[in-house]
Amino acid sequence: MTGRILTNIVAAAGIVGLALTYGASAQAQEFGSPELIAAAKAEGKLVFYTANFAEVEQQVIKAFNKRFPEIKVEMVRAPGGQLITRVKTEAAAGKLIADVVDHSDRALMQPMADMFQDYAPPNAADYNPDAQIAPQLWPRATLVWSIAYNTELVKNPPKTWMDLTKPEYNKLTGQVIAPSGGTTWTRVMFERQVLGEDYWAKQAATRPVLYPSGAPMSDSLVRGEIAMGPLLYNAIYPKQKDGAPIQIFFPPEGAPVNPYATGIPKTAAHPNAAKLFLNWCLSKEGQTFMIKELGNLTSLKVPPAFPEGFDPKVVKVWFPKFDDYVKLHTAWVAEWNKTYGYAQ
Amino acid sequence: MDGLASRRGEVMRSASEGGRGRVGASLWVSLLLAILGFLVVYPILMLLLGALTDTNPVVDGIQLSHLSVTNFLTVLANPNVAEALANTLIACGGGTLIAVAVGLLFSWIVVRTNTPFKAVIAAASILPLFAPPLVAGVAWAILGSPKTGLINTVFKWAGLDWRVDFYSMWGLVFVFGIYYAPYVYMFTSSALRNMDPSLEEAAEISGASAFATLFTVTFPLIMPAIVSGMLLSFIVMLGIYGIPAVLGAPTNLSVLTTYIFKLTNWSPPLYNTAAAVAIILMVVTGLLVFLQHKVLSGRSYTTVAGKAFRPRSLDLGRWRWFTFGLGIVYLLIVVVLPSLALIVAAFRKFMFIRDVSSLFDARQYSLMHFQSIFDNPLTMRSIYNSVEVGIITAVVGGALAFAIGYTIHRTQVTGRRWIDVISTLPVAIPGLVVGVAYLWAWIGVPGGLYGTIWILALAFIARFMPDTVKSLSTSFLQIHRELEEAAWVCGKGVLGTIRTIVLPLARPGVMASMTLLFVLAIRELGSSLFLYTSNTMVMSVLLLDYYEGGNLGKTAAFSLVQTVLLGVLIGGANYLSRGAAQGSVARTG
Repeated sequence: MTGRILTNIVAAAGIVGLALTYGASAQAQEFGSPELIAAAKAEGKLVFYTANFAEVEQQVIKAFNKRFPEIKVEMVRAPGGQLITRVKTEAAAGKLIADVVDHSDRALMQPMADMFQDYAPPNAADYNPDAQIAPQLWPRATLVWSIAYNTELVKNPPKTWMDLTKPEYNKLTGQVIAPSGGTTWTRVMFERQVLGEDYWAKQAATRPVLYPSGAPMSDSLVRGEIAMGPLLYNAIYPKQKDGAPIQIFFPPEGAPVNPYATGIPKTAAHPNAAKLFLNWCLSKEGQTFMIKELGNLTSLKVPPAFPEGFDPKVVKVWFPKFDDYVKLHTAWVAEWNKTYGYAQ
Repeated sequence: MDGLASRRGEVMRSASEGGRGRVGASLWVSLLLAILGFLVVYPILMLLLGALTDTNPVVDGIQLSHLSVTNFLTVLANPNVAEALANTLIACGGGTLIAVAVGLLFSWIVVRTNTPFKAVIAAASILPLFAPPLVAGVAWAILGSPKTGLINTVFKWAGLDWRVDFYSMWGLVFVFGIYYAPYVYMFTSSALRNMDPSLEEAAEISGASAFATLFTVTFPLIMPAIVSGMLLSFIVMLGIYGIPAVLGAPTNLSVLTTYIFKLTNWSPPLYNTAAAVAIILMVVTGLLVFLQHKVLSGRSYTTVAGKAFRPRSLDLGRWRWFTFGLGIVYLLIVVVLPSLALIVAAFRKFMFIRDVSSLFDARQYSLMHFQSIFDNPLTMRSIYNSVEVGIITAVVGGALAFAIGYTIHRTQVTGRRWIDVISTLPVAIPGLVVGVAYLWAWIGVPGGLYGTIWILALAFIARFMPDTVKSLSTSFLQIHRELEEAAWVCGKGVLGTIRTIVLPLARPGVMASMTLLFVLAIRELGSSLFLYTSNTMVMSVLLLDYYEGGNLGKTAAFSLVQTVLLGVLIGGANYLSRGAAQGSVARTG
């Protein structure tokens, strides 16, 4: 009797175990075929070049490693301009080390598209085709602009983009410079095309403090060096999450969005690990992680989640027209520099 | 150097070694020139090529047909470049004035007065050398920001109506001045120590006051040392990125280095323009190096005679407490205040400090930044890599500098002037740009140099060769030729003489130069930026990453880690080299 009960228990456990294994493998299928996963594990590592902030990407790598602990991700992080020079020089010398290149400025990546191999994630059909500039390059990360202010310093906070031009905020705002890269260029385009031809002049008249990139500006905002300003949501959200005296909102006129361009070079030494990494990043799980933990948006047609404070019924996301994005860049950035008195 | 004794020695050696020696010598010179060609000349040519074309020499191939000065002229015509150049000259000029005043004052206090606790002041006068410029910049931003600076917070709390603003030209000049005073101090203190006091005594016997003696006898006598220290501190300031990057950015104050960095950082990057701006910086630096050579070569240190003497110590009476006070104030400004600022930033959760009481609110402090940096696997790897690259640079660079220094100063081989000139060239090239030149030059080298720790070490060896050769040269000049000649007479060959005579005697100097090289290699940021890869991340690059990542807490925490590590390593090396010095004294004594 006891023996039969024991057999039953063992059998039941076996079924449960089988079901669990099946469930896990079905879930893993979402990231690639068993062959790909096996090949990726055999490669054991990949080298990831990114223009995004090292700290942010460390978290992505950690989350990926929770799913695939066998694959080590080695990261090289450099600001946009330096990263492009490095990739071009390495590639020309036949020494491109990267297995994945991830860049915020799609205009710089598009002419290099031929350098990348054909690649599409398993859920390719779920992506918004407008977010892609070449079939090999995918919007691994999609960043969105917001306005943030220091709650200790601002008692009468701004509520719109236009509010940042108010004389009462003279010398209190900060701005990331237009030539800093693709994401800022998107915001600058949005300001001129949506908020009006004279928006820059009006905003510059409040004499904002200029920053080379969003990260030092978000730090200055926390310290109270500036009281408010436009920031990429993912540059300021982690600080708010940690308890800094910060409030963030998405203004009603629109939220400029910049999708990245990410691909696997033809010369990748660890192509399977690279594919698996990108598959995971682009999967629902990867995108949800980046939205919830890092404050990104997504270029998936049906977003699996939204960052805190982002109401899709209220906030209008604004994608730049890629044609304008490429053509207007030089002239408009030069004008922006002049308007804001930035020496280039 | 070209005295009778040396010529006699040379004749004797030539006679004994004959033709074989001459062939050996020319092979040796060719070898050194080949090494220097690879390390120095080739990257500089790449840089010139970059400045005079609009192409990337690796991507587009070396296209001499595109050579034109247009790129260079465009840069010269750009008003922003002119502004950056003017700012650079003002900041470095002002900084140098402060550095000379501070450095000279403290070298006089330490060497020539009976101020109490002189050892403490002497240590304080050298300490700023070990602070990486970015760390110094960050510390003074925390202290001196017009809106949130701790100094202003304290003033407000004390009810004082004073405000400081370090985000300005004045702030830059002040921080440059106090951080680069050690260069002046090092030169002038050794000159003061080596000076025969009989001239000063003569002045005083003739009725001159102590003060008048100082300005009419003492300082004029050590003028070459003052000028050397002054020019060197100016040249070093010209190439610094970290301090103007942090203090100049909020008010959009550009100097040449920050301007070059911006050019490489913009999207799209403008490397060729950066290379052209770098050429301007090189010309300014080159002129100063030339000037330094002129000043030094026209004079002789005749105050250093063979007669033994003790440097005179001036009895300041009650005033010695005043000079002691000055030393303490300096210690407070260059060491205590910046360290406190870094400690506050590293342990505080957020750097929003409403008032002084919030500064002492224990709830605001935690270990979260330290946990976070050690949670990052790159942190430990960068520490390991930096130490490794530092050791390789120190050992290989030290050996190369020894070979070069010996060839320049102790032999008469033809071609040694060229070796001297070429090994001095890197002084004039700013690190930020030389990094991309090294990348362009060395990425194609067969055998997989790129992506290893060695490419970083080679870049550092090349970049700091002038510093190492110069600091080693002093030890060669101190060893009298007679000792070498004695070895030759006894039948030793060149290598045998070096092994048994020169190396043991120069050992303290060699150790000191290698320690210097180690510190410089660990601090170096500019040329690392383009040469590191995922496997070879170094501390200075990671520190910039933390800074650019906008987290002051982590930047400060990692700065503290780096400072403590440097302190421990330098302390260790000092202990070892002191042992070496004592050892060699024991052997020769």
